[in-house]
Amino acid sequence: MGYPLDTLRALGVTLKNLVRPPTTVEYPKVTRPRSERYRASFALLHDENNEELCIGCLACERICPSQVIAITAGPKIQSVTTGKKRGTATDFTLDLTACIFCELCVQVCPTDAIIMTRTQEDPGFSREDLVLTMDKLYKNEKDRPAAWGNATKLLGMQEQEAKKDE
Amino acid sequence: MSAPQPQHRIELAVHEGEGDLMLVNFGPQHPSTHGVFRIKLLLDGEIVVKAVPYPGFLHRGVEKLAERLTFTQLGPIVDKNDYIAPMTNEQAIFMAFEKLLGIEVPRRARWMRTLFAELQRVASHLLWLGTFALDLGGALGGGATVFLYCFRERELVLDLFEEVTGARFHYNTHTMGGNRHDLPAGYAQKVHATLDVIAARLVEYEHLTSTNRIFDVRTRGVGTISSELALGLGLTGPVLRASGVDHDLRRDAPYGAYDEVPVNVMTETSGDCLARALVRIREMTESIRLARALIDGMPEGPICGAKAIKTPTQFKAASGQVYVGIETPRGELGTYVIAGGNERGAAPYRLKIRPPSYHAMSVLPYVLPGHMVSDVVAILGSLDPIMGEVDR
Amino acid sequence: MHWLLWSVVIITVLMTTTAWALWLERKLAARMGSRLGPTMVGRHGLLQPIADLLKLLQKEDILPEAADGALFNLAPILTAVFAIATVAVVPFGEGVIAADLDIGVLWVLAFGGLMVIPVWMAGWASNNKFALLGGMRAVAQAVSYEVPLVLASMVPVILAGSMSMTDIVHYQQQHSWIALWPTLPGLPAFLLFLLASLAESNRIPFDIPEAESELVAGVSTEYTGMKFGLFYMAEYIHTLVSSAIGAALFLGGWSGPFAPGLHWMLLKTLGLFVFIYVVRWTLLRFRQDQLMRLAWVWLVPMGLVLVFMAAVVVVWGGA
Repeated sequence: MGYPLDTLRALGVTLKNLVRPPTTVEYPKVTRPRSERYRASFALLHDENNEELCIGCLACERICPSQVIAITAGPKIQSVTTGKKRGTATDFTLDLTACIFCELCVQVCPTDAIIMTRTQEDPGFSREDLVLTMDKLYKNEKDRPAAWGNATKLLGMQEQEAKKDE
Repeated sequence: MSAPQPQHRIELAVHEGEGDLMLVNFGPQHPSTHGVFRIKLLLDGEIVVKAVPYPGFLHRGVEKLAERLTFTQLGPIVDKNDYIAPMTNEQAIFMAFEKLLGIEVPRRARWMRTLFAELQRVASHLLWLGTFALDLGGALGGGATVFLYCFRERELVLDLFEEVTGARFHYNTHTMGGNRHDLPAGYAQKVHATLDVIAARLVEYEHLTSTNRIFDVRTRGVGTISSELALGLGLTGPVLRASGVDHDLRRDAPYGAYDEVPVNVMTETSGDCLARALVRIREMTESIRLARALIDGMPEGPICGAKAIKTPTQFKAASGQVYVGIETPRGELGTYVIAGGNERGAAPYRLKIRPPSYHAMSVLPYVLPGHMVSDVVAILGSLDPIMGEVDR
Repeated sequence: MHWLLWSVVIITVLMTTTAWALWLERKLAARMGSRLGPTMVGRHGLLQPIADLLKLLQKEDILPEAADGALFNLAPILTAVFAIATVAVVPFGEGVIAADLDIGVLWVLAFGGLMVIPVWMAGWASNNKFALLGGMRAVAQAVSYEVPLVLASMVPVILAGSMSMTDIVHYQQQHSWIALWPTLPGLPAFLLFLLASLAESNRIPFDIPEAESELVAGVSTEYTGMKFGLFYMAEYIHTLVSSAIGAALFLGGWSGPFAPGLHWMLLKTLGLFVFIYVVRWTLLRFRQDQLMRLAWVWLVPMGLVLVFMAAVVVVWGGA
């Protein structure tokens, strides 16, 4: 078809889209619905006795492809929940500036201590704002909704049928 | 088949006495270089006399990094190579590792990977169509409108990925021996609903682009790549198929679920920008058909054939080397692994990635001369280069 | 002294209209692209033009080291002056005109043609290769499209037998809109005029001098702050004035039932303006050689035939 007809047809498309509702949402006011598994930031968890779940085993530090996790293992203490000796972490930092959100640290955690949250960190004015310290990670447990995944669920999903076979 | 070799430097003296030539550095900071890419253009007025491409501005040393990290850690790292279709990078690298380690992938995982690959192809080609229109129509005009439409629909595909993996870019959903995330309940309906929308809107995009006369005159006969040149330079994917070579790894060397779900390969013969555009647009329709077939026939069963990742050094291979090529939206993405790296064989000794875009870019010095500056943008856009993959 | 009064009024109104025409375009483009457009400044982003202006004024004024300072600074000023000068002869209503010249049409075409000089000046003085290419394209395009534009404008001039804009509108009040009757030279001449003015004001599909996907920003590549703002403003004024002249020459100007003439004139101008922008946000762009071929192979012969037809209508049509 010639230029005039093609132009009219193209105009038809754009005018049709003119009356369609816009896709854009004004972000801080409206938030796009996020899926249940959405992963945006991190949190460290407590158990039902308000005891820190992290035992300072360094599994996440070792698996991290970007090497953004740094943990200082603390002394062994008597656990209130189980009554057994368990490890602790005195320091836990996660550098979000280099994090690639691969979820491997969540998957390898033996105690389901680290999980991902469904809302992201607030923007900051310095790089230090994006380094998640232990305080921030425990604060995220209360402030931010947790994502679906933790180590038990992720491993269960991947090994569901394998277990049946055994 | 041997191809003529381009000269590596622009020798200004060679063109002395042919009138005044102007040297233009097209990029690395230029709106239409699809990232950071530099072409040295020697112009006679508006006509390109000689073109020398300079890749490397986005080099991140992924292949070197692969020698330090272990097999389990590399999946999420390669996500960023082809940043328009991250899922295919994971698929390629884990297929190579699985072949090296002799791990069997369960049927459901293969079908899921293939489904993701086809959805990814739709998303990637949508983005290509948008940026190609942007190249032809400008950021302050019709091009931008097409670009936004394409992004709107691409987002729907990303929503589908988010539903499964929880991420829109860094999926890290492929793992050694299968997938990390299973499909959630009611996923098939969501896939069908999204594909319905995209299939209907594709017609609209064709009215704005491929069946529009202006698009036609801008692309027909522009940047013609002969099948000899395409084969000689190792071009793959839609660029090769547009030059009349019927080659598609999905059909010729089936992997994943392609042996059970046959692919119709789209080809064109003219080898110009229009042919490449038509091949990609038809591939979108074909991928939508494949994705529907895959989600409908999705088998039940385990999604991971190996033990889930727990430690970095869990998988070890002391010796051996493998090459695995898969058909990404841009062509053959090859992964070549030599086993026996650090930590007693838990890392590759050497990892070589063969990116399809890098080879597609090598055609530029051959096809650009004789075209106008406007065509440079069109030709570059029609090759669908992804700089993250070119430079790695 | 009424012409002085009208000059001041028209220029003030034109400048503010341009600003909000810009808002209208942004909103329209946004909704066509499934976006929202400006929403933050004022209700529905209505104060966005003011915010834009303030932002442009605050920007650092950069003069490239290798640029020709005098020409570089003069170019945006001249562009704006020429763009505003064309509005002098546009009749917005009976007597609502800054200068009712008896060579009104010639004045408009002359200043439209002059626009190419500052554009080339900017392209040359920037000492930037992309700006130079943009300038060269602009000159080639303007010179080519000047011809069909003049030929299309000659049709109403011949029919009305006068070069004064007011007389042409009067003629249309007595007979009918030139775009409607006589249809044969009228309607094609109107379309030709529209097409040529799209090219004159560098609108898609003819925006190759800017062509930001190829030439970064064409002639305005090196301009910052308010100097860039002047180019930008001139472009919009040019489009607005082209729409107004199209409305006056072919769509009966201020003539229309029920409402005072000014309303009709503004409505018609706005209609053409919106049409130009809807087309802009729909189509891709041509390549410069295709543009030249379109002008010289199709549009110029078409214009000549239309002028001839207009003459035939006048001589034998018994107008």
